[in-house]
Amino acid sequence: MKRFALAPHLIGLYPLGMMVIFFLGPLAFMIVVSFYLRDPLGFYKVDFTWENYGKFFSSFYYSVSLRSIWTSALASLLTVALAFPAIYVITDMRRKWQLAWVIGLLALMCLSEVVIGFAWVILMSESAGIPRLLGWLGLWEDPRSLSPSRLAMLIGMVSLGFSLVALMFFPQLSQRDRSIEEAAQTLGTPPAQVFFRIVLPIFRPGLAASLVTMFVYYLGVYVMPTMLGRPQDWNMSVIITDKAVEQANMPLGAALAVIMLIFTVLLIGGFALATRKEGAK
Amino acid sequence: MTGLLKRLFIWTIAAGLILPFAVVFGVSINAESNIAFPPTEFSGRWYIMLLTESDWLIPIGNSFTIAFFAALIAVSIALAANYVLWRLNSGFGRAIFALGIGPFLLPPIIIAMGASVFWAEAGWYGRMEATIISHGVFFVTLPLVVISRGFAALSDDVIDASRIMGATPRQTFTKVILPLVAPYVVTGYVLVAIISVNEYLISYMVSGFAVETLPIRIFNNVRYGYSPVVASAAMGFAFITVLSLLALSMVTDLLKLLGARRD
Repeated sequence: MKRFALAPHLIGLYPLGMMVIFFLGPLAFMIVVSFYLRDPLGFYKVDFTWENYGKFFSSFYYSVSLRSIWTSALASLLTVALAFPAIYVITDMRRKWQLAWVIGLLALMCLSEVVIGFAWVILMSESAGIPRLLGWLGLWEDPRSLSPSRLAMLIGMVSLGFSLVALMFFPQLSQRDRSIEEAAQTLGTPPAQVFFRIVLPIFRPGLAASLVTMFVYYLGVYVMPTMLGRPQDWNMSVIITDKAVEQANMPLGAALAVIMLIFTVLLIGGFALATRKEGAK
Repeated sequence: MTGLLKRLFIWTIAAGLILPFAVVFGVSINAESNIAFPPTEFSGRWYIMLLTESDWLIPIGNSFTIAFFAALIAVSIALAANYVLWRLNSGFGRAIFALGIGPFLLPPIIIAMGASVFWAEAGWYGRMEATIISHGVFFVTLPLVVISRGFAALSDDVIDASRIMGATPRQTFTKVILPLVAPYVVTGYVLVAIISVNEYLISYMVSGFAVETLPIRIFNNVRYGYSPVVASAAMGFAFITVLSLLALSMVTDLLKLLGARRD
């Protein structure tokens, strides 16, 4: 039994306090506000009403929710399908090239959604981007802007999440035991089969975890749908921001965010439980 | 054959990630005042406008101020949390660490919405301090993980040696631990600062109408008709980000830090 150390506990109060007050505090208060009434003259009036949640059960929010889920699922699948093989190839490169890729990916990860979105807006525009190039090559008679559109939004989202997934897998893939792959190759297995039948199964748990992480991440993106998507492509995040900021209805925005929070926590919790069960087997 | 396919795949990916920025760069050095590519006449006027007009200088100043202090807060929380976990390795330390991972697991919109109502109630809605604290707390995950790698790399011999030679825990911390984890702390600081400069949603929902940051400025510009200054601002962003990371890669071994195999 060690003697109770006071100093580290006191030091621990600082990070604990900061996280509880400024991270958990806002989340808890958001739940409180979701039961308040809207005040057209200020932020909200103290009350206890289920009205904000009642609004969620309508065909509008139903279709927005389904759309958010579908878009996030598609985007996370595309991102992982591209980023995992890419980082698999990158980790076998020479150190110099690895460093170049890692710096590039880190830069992309840090770079603002706004900047990446803007870059794609330009690239898909009639005056400066791909449509102009196709028109100039004579491949497209009447070039028109490709954004805003659903496809543009998806491309923007994937290019936003790509670096995250790639960097998430970098340590695992870099440190992986290459002897199994080498053994398979020596026995005459073609490299494509080595990837699909050996590497993918080994990383199945990690792949599943990254799919869930990216799904949750994409649920919360705001900039890409507004910049590259049409109003009929907007996800729940855009609607929440629109209600809370543009229409100054914080209680409704809070209620919608709480619903998303519950959905996210259930999803992550369910996933954690499922993987633990599998691990126990 | 497969080697060729591999190369083709990786070059396509690289092209897809770089192409948008190549075009934006082209737009930013074009003399024409409407967005057009390829450039017809080269000019640096949009960069000069970016660095001389108060329309752009104020958001730039705001963004850098927020990033400077937010990164301090994030790194101080991360360092304290890691130290406590290292010293105690108890439920208390682990709970603090887990709390720090939390913000990363939630969709940013939920965090932004929570921060928005919280600061509205606290009366700091629309103040820069609110954005600073929120950024500092929500971006804690990255330095937390990075610094934990530093603590994991501490060898017990050094700590034991300092203790045997009579150093107090405080001396051990300042004279032995801190210098050893310093590169990780610096890396964490730079990463949070870069992410904070680039962040849009939290800044917008906490104090976007009063404190305009650079991403907010760019976003508003793109939404309501834009000029090539936006392109130069976007390029400025990309340059600063890449340059900071390059500088960082000279100070620390980025590959090792991100978990590459030692060879």
